[in-house]
Amino acid sequence: MSPTINVQQLSKTYQVPEREGGFGAAVRSFFKRKYKDVKAVQQVDFKIEQGEIVGFLGPNGAGKTTTLKMLSGLLHPTGGKAEVLGFTPWELKPEYLRVMTLVMGQRNRLSWDIPAADSFLLNQAIYRIPDDEYKQTYKELDELLELEPLMKKPVRNLSLGERMKCEIAAGLLHRPKVLFLDEPTIGLDITGQARIREFLREYNKRTGATILLTSHYMADVTALCERIIIIHHGNLKYDGGINDLSRRIAPFKLIGVRLAEPNSHDLSKYGEPVQNEEDAEKQYIQVKAEDVTRVTSKLLADLPVHDITIADPPIEDVIEQAFNQ
Amino acid sequence: MHTLRLLSAFFKVNVQMALAYRADTVVNILLNLMWLGWELLSLNIIFNNTETLGGWGIGELIALLGVFRLVNTMMIALIWPNTEKFNASIRDGSMDYTILQPVNSMFLVTFSRITVWRIWDLVLAVVLMVVGINMSGDSITALQILTFILLATTGTLVIYSLWIVLIAMTFWFTKFDNNVTILQALLDAGRYPATVYPVWLRVIVTFIIPIAVATTIPLQALRGDLTLASTLLFASIGFISFGIASQIWKAGLKRYSGASS
Amino acid sequence: MLLIIKRLWQVNWAEQWQYRANLLMYLLYWLVSPIIYLAVWTSIANVKGDVNGFTANDFTTYYMVLLIADQFTSNIVIHTFGYKIQDGSLSGELIRPIHPLLTNGLVNNIAFKALTIMGLLPIWIILFFLYKPDFSGISWTGIALAIPAMILAFFTGYLLSAAITSLAFWTTRVYSIHEFYFALILLFSGQFVPLTLMPQIVQDIAQYLPFQLLIYYPVQLILGKLSSAQIVQGYVMSFIWLGIAWLFFTWVWRNGVKRYSAVGA
Repeated sequence: MSPTINVQQLSKTYQVPEREGGFGAAVRSFFKRKYKDVKAVQQVDFKIEQGEIVGFLGPNGAGKTTTLKMLSGLLHPTGGKAEVLGFTPWELKPEYLRVMTLVMGQRNRLSWDIPAADSFLLNQAIYRIPDDEYKQTYKELDELLELEPLMKKPVRNLSLGERMKCEIAAGLLHRPKVLFLDEPTIGLDITGQARIREFLREYNKRTGATILLTSHYMADVTALCERIIIIHHGNLKYDGGINDLSRRIAPFKLIGVRLAEPNSHDLSKYGEPVQNEEDAEKQYIQVKAEDVTRVTSKLLADLPVHDITIADPPIEDVIEQAFNQ
Repeated sequence: MHTLRLLSAFFKVNVQMALAYRADTVVNILLNLMWLGWELLSLNIIFNNTETLGGWGIGELIALLGVFRLVNTMMIALIWPNTEKFNASIRDGSMDYTILQPVNSMFLVTFSRITVWRIWDLVLAVVLMVVGINMSGDSITALQILTFILLATTGTLVIYSLWIVLIAMTFWFTKFDNNVTILQALLDAGRYPATVYPVWLRVIVTFIIPIAVATTIPLQALRGDLTLASTLLFASIGFISFGIASQIWKAGLKRYSGASS
Repeated sequence: MLLIIKRLWQVNWAEQWQYRANLLMYLLYWLVSPIIYLAVWTSIANVKGDVNGFTANDFTTYYMVLLIADQFTSNIVIHTFGYKIQDGSLSGELIRPIHPLLTNGLVNNIAFKALTIMGLLPIWIILFFLYKPDFSGISWTGIALAIPAMILAFFTGYLLSAAITSLAFWTTRVYSIHEFYFALILLFSGQFVPLTLMPQIVQDIAQYLPFQLLIYYPVQLILGKLSSAQIVQGYVMSFIWLGIAWLFFTWVWRNGVKRYSAVGA
């Protein structure tokens, strides 16, 4: 079977108008606009199999949203190919649009002035969902997201978290097989984030849907995704298991040391000191994986060590490091 | 069939919204009556000073006002609210969702907002037409009524098509969110028979921004002033312009998704 | 202060220039009604010889001058400012040490005016050749008298519109209120037809209202149709209404801002 999402050499270059400030420039730009090429995505390749949840990471402006927009069909690439469920997304075939969804955390699809229930019914008509199927799906979504109490209020009166629940539910009424989620938890508090996360995991388990999501919150990614894809400046930087990431990108270990007299010695000659709030009595240094044994025995020999721990660095730091490479 | 289901779904949503803004609805009905009063007053001022305007009497101008109000209702009940929604959706990016729905996007953009209470305006328009025709004393045959309905429909289609072209321009020129003003501005020319205008203006309102095609010309058909050839010509202009507008809309969508560059 | 105005001007000019497509549309909107009225009335005058003493040329000159006077005295503050109060983006401007409406808003409107007048000029010249109005009745004195009158009228109109816009502090229906205000202008300013052709009752009321100062009064000044007594009376009215508009605006604004900060939008 071919992969659900198959991306080959996908590229997107934007032309952005350039203009200097000031009156003269304003007049000049009236007659002739200058453009500058911005390479948002450069020859990206990846494949995603049915049922996978993949985290799509990168700093702001890395090309994540552009890629998601191309995969959902909103944007035409300037080069390369992509297939989702056998469709070329940007042909915007209704058959394709009925089996995928794009949820953007910062955009509203629901009408603000009316209760979500009415917008849901509109979506039912738009996606041609038969009544019994609609009821079934709604029941399931309600079970997972506890929608019922929110349905009767105008959307503008809902809290951010409640609105996001409704947005996601509205995007899933037609039981899409592929979900593109752009920052689905943005702006939510910790419990709100956790709830959406739990829902996505459950939805994936029940329906076998394929999910590609971006998020600023590493917790989303570590909780949901076994696999991550990192892009930076439009280039693919990493594609693989989340657990392999630290080995491949940042082969470092974190050594935590508690001395007899806490914080009495400078450890910078053993490795790079790192801030870590976990234990105030401990000092942390970062060392290369192959040096761990040597540095540890040296520390034990040199200093009055009470306690020593060796751990992988936090995934956030590793990913940040990956961006900076 | 499915289209009808969709339309009724849109209609229900919009009834909901109208109910959420009851007070606004009342205010708007009052404003609408105010403008009707102004229109009748201005006709009164004109006909205090003359018996005919461009060959038409006051009865015919009242009937024309009725036809004008039909088009105007389309402007206000459909075109304005949907333009507003369209422009907002371009600004805040929710246009993305519109495109990703498995329904013709032109259809979605046209009918997602309906100012429901405006429907009473259609009744008012018909009343004005009946009263005006009665005052004018013209005798009307069934065939004339049929050609009138045909040409009013195709004329409206022309204006609708022009609207589609205008909002599609937003895909090329960002910050073009005042796009419908030109239509509304020239629409005012439809209050008076195009025969009043100097030639250059008549050419503009008949062929370039063809307001007269939806106002003066159907009424001419009702009076029996049109030949069969010109009836067919104006009817076909309606369908042709709709075809062109659909193509421009498609090109605009391509532009939006970066397919053309 | 001068520097502030200079910078504001630069920003607003550049901004308006960016919106040139919109600007063209506004301009068309403004142009169409007078051109239609011109066509309607000249066609009547051509048939009848004259309408209540107005010949076709009288109508043509009236509307041609009106096009310019209207450009000078009108404003768009409801469109550029109304939404700021409603969506809360006014907050950012309120904490700046300049008055949002009396500096930024005003400069923005003037920049807009400057551009629309630039855009109007070629169109006006084309219309001039299309209609070939006989402007022989116009004198430099009339124009010299009209310019300060139009400046006064612009500020009066601006303050009145700004006050109505500021009603957005209380009601979301400010656009409906403005529509009503707009209808009053249409009725009493002489925009539809020279006021002397309006019903007597409208004329009687109009002379006490500020709206005729926006259009009818400056147009008549330029056309040299007013007696010295009428000119003096017009100027007196201009100053009185400027004062009233100022008081009205400052009162609405002060209370509105108080309310705004109390609600904490």
